[in-house]
Amino acid sequence: MTTTTVTTTVPTAARVVDAVKVYGTGDTSVRALDGVSVDFPVGRFTAIMGPSGSGKSTLMHCAAGLDTLTSGTAHIGDTELSSLDDRRLTLLRRDRVGFVFQAFNLVPTLTVAENITLPLDLAGGKGDREWIDALIDVVGLRDRLHHRPGELSGGQQQRVAVARAFAGQPDVVFADEPTGNLDSRSGEEVLGLLGRTVRQTSRTVVMVTHDPVAAAHADEVVFLADGRLVDRMAAPTADKVLDRMKAFEVPS
Amino acid sequence: MNAMNAMNAMNGTHASVRLSVSSLRAHKRRFAGTFLAVFLGVAFLAGTLVMGDTLRAGFDTMFGNATSGTDAVVRSADAITTPGESEGVREPVGTDLVTTIERAPGVAAAAPDIQGAGQLVGRNGDPIGGQGPPTLAGNWITDPKLNPYRLAEGRAPEKSGEVVVNRGTAERGDLKIGDTTTLRTPDPVKVTVVGLATFGGEDGMAQVTFTGMTQADAEKYLTARPGEAASIQVRATPGTSQQELVDELTTVLPDGVEAITGQESAAENTDMISSQFLTLFTTFLLVFSGVALLVATFSIHNTFAIVVAQRTRENALLRALGASRRQVTASTLVEATAVAVTASGAGLAGGIGIAAGLQALFPAIGFPFPEAGLVLKPLSMTLPLAVGVVVCLGSALLPARRAGRTAPLAALRETAVDTSGASRTRAVTGAALIALALGVTLGGVLLTPSLWLAGTGAVLALAAFVALGPVASTTAVRILGGPLDRLRGVTGGLARRNALRSPKRTAATASALMIGVAVVSLFTVFGASLKATMDQTVSRSFAGDVAVSTPSFGAGGSGLSPRLADAVQRLPEVDTAVGLGRGVAEVDGKGRALTVTDPVALERTFDLGTVHGSLADLGTHGMAITQKEADEQHLTTGDQTRLTFTDGRTETFTVRAVYGRSELAGDYVITREAWAPHRTQDADTVLAVSFKDGVSTDTGKAAVEKVAAQYGNPEVQTRDEYAQSSAGGIDMMLTLVYALLALAVLIALLGIANTLTLAIHERTRELGLLRAVGQTRPQLRAMIRWESVLVAAFGTAGGIALGAFLGWVLVKASDGASDSAFAFAMPSLQLLVVALVGVTAGALAGLRPARRAARLDVLRAIATE
Repeated sequence: MTTTTVTTTVPTAARVVDAVKVYGTGDTSVRALDGVSVDFPVGRFTAIMGPSGSGKSTLMHCAAGLDTLTSGTAHIGDTELSSLDDRRLTLLRRDRVGFVFQAFNLVPTLTVAENITLPLDLAGGKGDREWIDALIDVVGLRDRLHHRPGELSGGQQQRVAVARAFAGQPDVVFADEPTGNLDSRSGEEVLGLLGRTVRQTSRTVVMVTHDPVAAAHADEVVFLADGRLVDRMAAPTADKVLDRMKAFEVPS
Repeated sequence: MNAMNAMNAMNGTHASVRLSVSSLRAHKRRFAGTFLAVFLGVAFLAGTLVMGDTLRAGFDTMFGNATSGTDAVVRSADAITTPGESEGVREPVGTDLVTTIERAPGVAAAAPDIQGAGQLVGRNGDPIGGQGPPTLAGNWITDPKLNPYRLAEGRAPEKSGEVVVNRGTAERGDLKIGDTTTLRTPDPVKVTVVGLATFGGEDGMAQVTFTGMTQADAEKYLTARPGEAASIQVRATPGTSQQELVDELTTVLPDGVEAITGQESAAENTDMISSQFLTLFTTFLLVFSGVALLVATFSIHNTFAIVVAQRTRENALLRALGASRRQVTASTLVEATAVAVTASGAGLAGGIGIAAGLQALFPAIGFPFPEAGLVLKPLSMTLPLAVGVVVCLGSALLPARRAGRTAPLAALRETAVDTSGASRTRAVTGAALIALALGVTLGGVLLTPSLWLAGTGAVLALAAFVALGPVASTTAVRILGGPLDRLRGVTGGLARRNALRSPKRTAATASALMIGVAVVSLFTVFGASLKATMDQTVSRSFAGDVAVSTPSFGAGGSGLSPRLADAVQRLPEVDTAVGLGRGVAEVDGKGRALTVTDPVALERTFDLGTVHGSLADLGTHGMAITQKEADEQHLTTGDQTRLTFTDGRTETFTVRAVYGRSELAGDYVITREAWAPHRTQDADTVLAVSFKDGVSTDTGKAAVEKVAAQYGNPEVQTRDEYAQSSAGGIDMMLTLVYALLALAVLIALLGIANTLTLAIHERTRELGLLRAVGQTRPQLRAMIRWESVLVAAFGTAGGIALGAFLGWVLVKASDGASDSAFAFAMPSLQLLVVALVGVTAGALAGLRPARRAARLDVLRAIATE
């Protein structure tokens, strides 16, 4: 194994090194990640972009401990994930990682409040009451706490998911197309919420998206194509991202 | 035009079938539970029928073989049958008739057949048999063709004290040729085994024991007077048919004596065994396969309801693409038919397997099963198949119709889960049903005691419980699951809420278990009440200190020697020893059991309730009767009535006393002197002993035991032991009932497991989410197990409530409808055990679905569309 010296001044919340992910075997095998190395610094909102099949979701799943790499390493903070068994990975996800998925983020039988504290309840701890209280105000759902997810709009549901993701004060929150199922206004709200939370509370968010407008909310965008990291862009705007994305389509 | 329609219809059907087949192939697992439920129910039913037919045919062959040499049987024409007995008691015939018969044309040989009760004592000192099947003794008929038993080893008895024993009995008692043992006739007779016999090619006639002695011994010990036999077996000369022989005999026989053909006699014997044992046995088993199939109905209905709900989008798409309602319904029904036919077919094969297994098992447990091929009658082949298919299709009918009603638009909707709750109509109907059920049962119990009314009410109550299930499930699960939130945190809370998600489904799943548990509870309550009744009877009516009795469950055994009572009476410790013998007579044309005893001693040892008149001086023509019989026959003290005995003689008896309680003393009491002229083989069924003041029970018991040892060593019991042994048969029966009901409960648990598996399939994404946000595998497994426990707890609670209520109804209705008082007992401990077993079983049912759910791949679960 080669040691890559990463010269960053800020510590990383999550990173992958030489990540390779191969699905299937023989003729039907697909190389979803082909040697990607990337770090997600603490306190930053990073967007992962790329065309369909570029491996962006796979990268997120592997970095978050939902999937395992074929070779290479993934870290959350200082913890190397491949050395963890299923139980440890589960506990790591519960205690140190937050998730926002595209849809079906909430357990329909639990109330909004219960959904927010679900990871904490699973851990059997109380969590930081003040933090959760503040969080509820940030996502603006105080009057909905005792409702069931079915009684909320899609945007409201995603805001609950964001609150749930941050409830345990995780090292990093992974968001997989969090606005994919929302109309543009609700999407804007959720993205604003993610951005605000990162900036106000120095949290780390990694978001996979294919929407340049969504990516523009991030501090930095990393571009993936054919399982490789092809570019990074700091201080993105929707236009710049769109231009960069168009570039992918021309050469191939 | 018509042809076109037919073509279209054909194509339509084809499409339905194709859809069903592909669906079945894709969802094999879903139908595993349904398959098993039908399979078990049908296998049980088929097994019962095949075994019943095979046993019946076996007995037919056995009796046919055994009595093939007997062409006619001569016996007295009339039999006195008492209520509750299938075979009447016949007057004996004189052995002197043999000479008359032998002189008749067409007769080759004739031999008297003396029959009585005789119980052998085995090598270890315990009596052989007597727990149900009769223990017979008789004369060893020397003409081998007339003797149903064949000598297999040794020789026939030649002098007094020598006996031939059927081989099965000898093996059970570990007796060999040359061994000396005791035969209770019931007077102990020292006998030496000189030969072993077979019956119809088998080691014995089922568990019946037979001891053959010389004719002189048989007359001495088994009949009241020498020169009497139960019947005379006759063999025809070659060329004379059985009917011709009977016709010839009829002309020479005196009045009151008849001749029947050997075939008729064999058929009568087979019928007797069938009605006494087989019919009871098979009816019993059929009831349980009925319960199992009823439970299966719920499980099957539930599976199809869930499958249809899950397939809403698929069915809606079909409807949107132009499939007719009928086609969608048909495709579900075809699916049900396929499952029904394969499962029923497999069940039928399984049933035949069960019967074959039992046939192999019976001889191993000492029950000589006639060696013959399995009898597969068309009815026992078609009936289980038909029942299996009907049950399965019937259960799938409603879900299939619901599938057909799917709106095409449902294809566009997100949700595919049936979360419909209980409707108001259901609540109202259920409440009305419950009110009606309560009204009818209480009416049948309290106002006009009637088992019919109470039974109708019971069925209504069952229907009401099933109807109200979804209404009650929400509240019940909330209450039952209440402690879970506190004890098991979010895992418990999730389990409880999952169980609440679809009240209809939870209720239907629990209903299956509820029925099983209800039947278990019903028997538990009824059994406990019967025991309490026995206990109460003994403590109320039995005023003695110890009792010597023969096994009370079944008519087996040879009873007690009447001389035992006299011997015990002579003990210095004993105040009174009274033996109760049994006789029969016709009173006013109806067969009645008589208690033959010393009435004065009876009154001292048994509590007879209020006595009008006096039992002191019954003499040879006086009797005492219960108040109930007195009312029925319109008799009172001083009245006269005519009793006809088995010897054909009729005598006038005067009612000297009327007493209140009949439980142990019987309805009619006459003296030994009155009975003596008409007596058959003498035997007492119970001997009650009370000690003199100052004699401790232990001392007295030891003294009685010493005397009893000389009379074949019957068991001496204290009052408590006597009460307990009277109830011992109930425990045995309950154990059997529980074993059979285990099947129904197993089917119900399969249903729970099946529903859970399907629910997990529905909740794949949710489970994936939970795992993603940090639910560990053990937590996930616990969540599903607890859900299973909750559903099972709901079913168990409902079942116990229903079963206890029905038990109460049954006991009270029996109490009201019969003359003997029934005590009601609520066996809390046993019911608690039932509850624990139900809940534990629920946890077990959840094991496999929980394991499967925990194996779920998180990523794939979240990605599942």
